[in-house]
Amino acid sequence: MGQAELQNLIPLGAVLHHSLSQPKALELGAGVRLRQGRLHEVSGASADMFAIQTAAAQDNPILWMGLHRDIVTLNPSGLQAYLKVEDLILVEAVSRGELLWAADQALRAAGGFCVIIDMPDTLSLKESRRLQLAAEQGGGIGLLLLRGPASTSAAQTRWECQPRCAEQPSWDWACLKGKNGEAGRWRMTEQLRDRKGGASAKDTLHLAAAASA
Amino acid sequence: MPRILSIWLPQLPLDRLARHGDPRLAGAFAVTAEERNAWRVMHANRAALKAGVKPGQALADARAICPDLLTEPSDTVREELLLRALWRWADCLSPRVSLDPPDGLLLDISGCSHLFGGEREMGGESLTRLSDLQIEARIGIADTKGGAQALARFGADALNVAEPGELRAALADLPIAALALPDNLISELARAGLSTVAHLQDQKSAELARRFGLHLTQTIDTALGRTPDPVTPKAADPVYAARMTLPEPIGFLEDLEAVLERLARQICGWLEQDQSGARRFQLTVRCVDTGDHHLGIGFARPCTDPAAVLRQFSHPLSELEIEYGADWFRLCAEHIEPIRLKQTSFGEEAKRADDRLILIETLGNRIGFDHVRVFQAKDSHVPEHEFEQAEAVQAAPRWVQAPRERPIRLFTPPEYVQVETPGRPPKAFKWRRMDFSSETAHGPERITPRWFRDEDLRTRDYWKVQTRQGRRLWLLNYPGEETEDWYVAGEFP
Repeated sequence: MGQAELQNLIPLGAVLHHSLSQPKALELGAGVRLRQGRLHEVSGASADMFAIQTAAAQDNPILWMGLHRDIVTLNPSGLQAYLKVEDLILVEAVSRGELLWAADQALRAAGGFCVIIDMPDTLSLKESRRLQLAAEQGGGIGLLLLRGPASTSAAQTRWECQPRCAEQPSWDWACLKGKNGEAGRWRMTEQLRDRKGGASAKDTLHLAAAASA
Repeated sequence: MPRILSIWLPQLPLDRLARHGDPRLAGAFAVTAEERNAWRVMHANRAALKAGVKPGQALADARAICPDLLTEPSDTVREELLLRALWRWADCLSPRVSLDPPDGLLLDISGCSHLFGGEREMGGESLTRLSDLQIEARIGIADTKGGAQALARFGADALNVAEPGELRAALADLPIAALALPDNLISELARAGLSTVAHLQDQKSAELARRFGLHLTQTIDTALGRTPDPVTPKAADPVYAARMTLPEPIGFLEDLEAVLERLARQICGWLEQDQSGARRFQLTVRCVDTGDHHLGIGFARPCTDPAAVLRQFSHPLSELEIEYGADWFRLCAEHIEPIRLKQTSFGEEAKRADDRLILIETLGNRIGFDHVRVFQAKDSHVPEHEFEQAEAVQAAPRWVQAPRERPIRLFTPPEYVQVETPGRPPKAFKWRRMDFSSETAHGPERITPRWFRDEDLRTRDYWKVQTRQGRRLWLLNYPGEETEDWYVAGEFP
């Protein structure tokens, strides 16, 4: 399925779900769109990169929450090439329950935050539905980085992200599941523009998509 | 010349217990403290003194002398609270009162004494009022702080007054210890045959300074008023607290919230009047059966909004277990800070900052403010020291771009890899039970550690390796080591 078809599908799904209001969507480039006010699941070895790209595409504060072992490895001097480190807030939960509570609060809060949840295992349907409802209330975007196997969930989309072996850093993104019929495969390549001139961190990376890989 | 009144409270710990109506004070009683590795008698009441117990004596000796002696360890916190209460009370004597811890008060009574009919009358009145409060006191009035303190502590009577300009004569007969000098200096002076203040006054100050140091001459000068030594009064900080006592205990969450709302509205009104806000609120709920429960919440910025207080308390209140109800509530604002009024109704920026802080407060109040953090840049070339994490409440986020390309995940300590096919970097290896083989590698980037710090002092070589499996890893090796061990130090996106 190509990107042109995908772009046609999104408004149709939106009409089905919310009869009048046109949902806002984040444009990640190359036709990859993520609906705001929704929870999205990401798995795979380069799930981090997908989350970073999403966070960089919007300009609200970013909350990266997880257990200590996942939060402590984040390196801001690597992240600075993609997003504004000042916007990043780290939330270190002690247990799974606390992590879910914090995610719920952050998604529900006014301000439309981008909430990246580093989940140590899978979520049950009930838990993901609660987070989904919270995201709808807050209007932000929730990204669930799944470390464990995927299971039935209430998330809007599920993505599988793998790095590729190539000259330039590149990734394969596949949308495996979409509530409104979003699906497709993308090959993303980092195209560094002028590395020195790029004052804004977002400009340093340009994603180009090839037709369905 | 100012006039200073010094109040000395020699038996403050005993007075504290007497005010509580402690029945043990009827017999021989002493307050003890641990000093120089032994429990010693600090204060003894009249009956104990009569039996031969002396302050400073070891408790075992005191017990041997007086077998009926009852004792209590001193409680410095409560004693200080009593002293502070007296410090506020002393406002009725003079507007300029300062604490003289651990057991005294200093009052600047210049221009106050005529209100009481003279200095002696003022001193007498103070003693009467203090004895009404069941506090034993001694008072010295002189031109200087040092002089008044010396007269209060070493004067012959309960009230000692040195008339203006006659301090020198009044101090002459007192022992040297009256000058509040360090113990070793007092014993040195005693060895030199100087035992009273008069002996010191006879000596030339240059000679005293040469032999005993400048501290001694400075103390004499301030005590005699040759160098100024003013009383620095401190106004008590305003207390923002409100309490509510109910005729019947309540237990429903809605009722508790209604009480809290009233208290919060009252306190926030006061705070707003004074143009300040509180960073912490403490709520005490007294249950009829289980006693006091203390609940606390924090804020990321000074707060004066009752609704915000209510919102943050909703979680701790819901966790509170009340079985038979609570009938006494006290809300207290702490960490008071001035607030600068800002226009927040316009402007997207201000609203976004507000939303961010509200979320930090909500998260921090539940999972701890030390678990909600931001990155801050640090000046270092060692990858794991290029940044640190600071509490999001305390620090405004500030980031300085690091100069070199770094992985987005950094593993400290680096994770060991099992080399399958050796090479530099290895051609095939196992990491986290996954097989990898390198396609291309960039490097090495050699980093020498900071020798001036106590850390791992091995030189490091970093390689950026593109694996055939896709992942881009940051491999680490310590050159010059016996074993060719490889580690994964980080992962690029």
